[in-house]
Amino acid sequence: MRPTAASLRWIIIAALLVLWEVLPRIGAISPLFLPPLSETVRAVITDWPEYADALFVSLGEVAVALVFACGGGILAGAVIGSVPALRTLLLPVASSLYAVPLVILYPVLTVWLGIGSESKIAFAAINGFLPTTLATAAGIRTIDPNLVLAARSMGATLAQRVTRVIIPASIPTVLAGLRLGGVLVIVGVVVSEMLTSTAGIGYIVTRYRTVLDSAHVFGAVLLIVLLTLLFDTLARFLERRATAWQPQAQRDRRRAARAEAGIVVPAE
Amino acid sequence: MADLTAAAGDGKIVAGAVVAGGVGAGSIQIRALSHVYAGRDGESPALADIDMTVEPGRFVVLVGPSGCGKTSLLMMLAGLRAHSTGFILCGGRPITGPDPNRIGVVFQEANLFPWLTALDNIAFPLALRHVKAAERRGRALEMLRLVRLEAFADRYPHELSGGMRQRVSIARGLVQDPPVLLMDEPFAALDEQTRMAMGDELLRIWSETRKTVVFVTHSLTEAVYLADQVLVMSARPGRIIDRIEVDLPRPRSYATLSAPAFAGLRDRIWHHIRAERA
Repeated sequence: MRPTAASLRWIIIAALLVLWEVLPRIGAISPLFLPPLSETVRAVITDWPEYADALFVSLGEVAVALVFACGGGILAGAVIGSVPALRTLLLPVASSLYAVPLVILYPVLTVWLGIGSESKIAFAAINGFLPTTLATAAGIRTIDPNLVLAARSMGATLAQRVTRVIIPASIPTVLAGLRLGGVLVIVGVVVSEMLTSTAGIGYIVTRYRTVLDSAHVFGAVLLIVLLTLLFDTLARFLERRATAWQPQAQRDRRRAARAEAGIVVPAE
Repeated sequence: MADLTAAAGDGKIVAGAVVAGGVGAGSIQIRALSHVYAGRDGESPALADIDMTVEPGRFVVLVGPSGCGKTSLLMMLAGLRAHSTGFILCGGRPITGPDPNRIGVVFQEANLFPWLTALDNIAFPLALRHVKAAERRGRALEMLRLVRLEAFADRYPHELSGGMRQRVSIARGLVQDPPVLLMDEPFAALDEQTRMAMGDELLRIWSETRKTVVFVTHSLTEAVYLADQVLVMSARPGRIIDRIEVDLPRPRSYATLSAPAFAGLRDRIWHHIRAERA
């Protein structure tokens, strides 16, 4: 029997987990570089209160940053996407800014906002904002203007055209933007916590790294991976629910395009 | 001869009012309509001196060479586009904007909302007017029966064939029971066999509902097959250069296509179009 792509994927994941346990045990890799999986899990369990506190801080920052990044990004993208003059003016700027490594902003943000949650939220929000804006702007432009014309011929007012045509038509795009922005917000929070911080899951990584406690470092890494996967699964579930009306082929195409653009979370 | 009777049927304009027959609910009068586009290279005339009268319940087809402005004229009639001078009356009252109670529009693409089922697409114009859900459903189902798609009420547009989508679009155009239906090359995107079947389907719906239909097409065969009257337009700026009464008997069928009179009428239109294209 030939394994399907999905089962093959699970086999590979299981094999990697087994290797994670076995390679350090047999001495192929020093436990300092890679502690066995079981020790990593034990580290998380024994110090769970510490991890839970850190996760709680990070999740709070992610949630607030998500509102700014995705709320603002979707709104900005919708405006830029629907006003041709703004599009010509701002889209090249936004695309160029996208290429700037935003992490250089972080030291500035800590000077302005301190090393507490505010600077993490600001950095994560900025990190997620531009891609969400660009994705939404691109998506709004794909709305078929003939649908709006048809609605107009049926006597739809401007408000009705927005609420009953433009918004439903852009939901798939907006959700794709939300998923993309959300992942980048998580990255932003973790990175900024690792750089300068006194709390959060990224801070735990840095703190245990400096004392060479690899098991605790990998414990935090494991939690971050799980957190990201959880968010991604949730976002994809929402997306599937909201786009049930689309032909399967169209959904597959969109997913493939996104995968090509490298927007899929690793280890999926 | 047909030209003379059609011209005599046109109203006389007296101080901006039309004194003419056919001011019934489904009548259309266009008087001295012209349109000039303000383009990048200055002004360019698109439509000139359009006069036309459509009696209620008639099936009128507009044909003309590409770019002659027949679709523009239809969009003006639908209240979707402004014109420079002249005026348009429907049911004796001027057209100032889209009015789905007077005029339903069917476009070249079905333009169905992909997130709504066939039934909800048809009910959409009623939802815009806050008609109650039960009544909406009832009237939409009635329209689905009219276009013989009651078995497909819960299908999404992508689950329907091109011809079915266009039938749903016709049902949506008729759901508010407007006396006038405007159709802009509605079958142009369909394959020939489907197009033939859709023509018959449309004639059946028309004979059951007795709407006034103004239909734009490129196809001379389609024009003669469907119409009571064919209006032939010139190249840009578009004006009406011939009004041809089609007195072929109804109901029409495949045999109509091979009648000598059919060929004669089509030749007459082609003669005009060829001259305009040269």
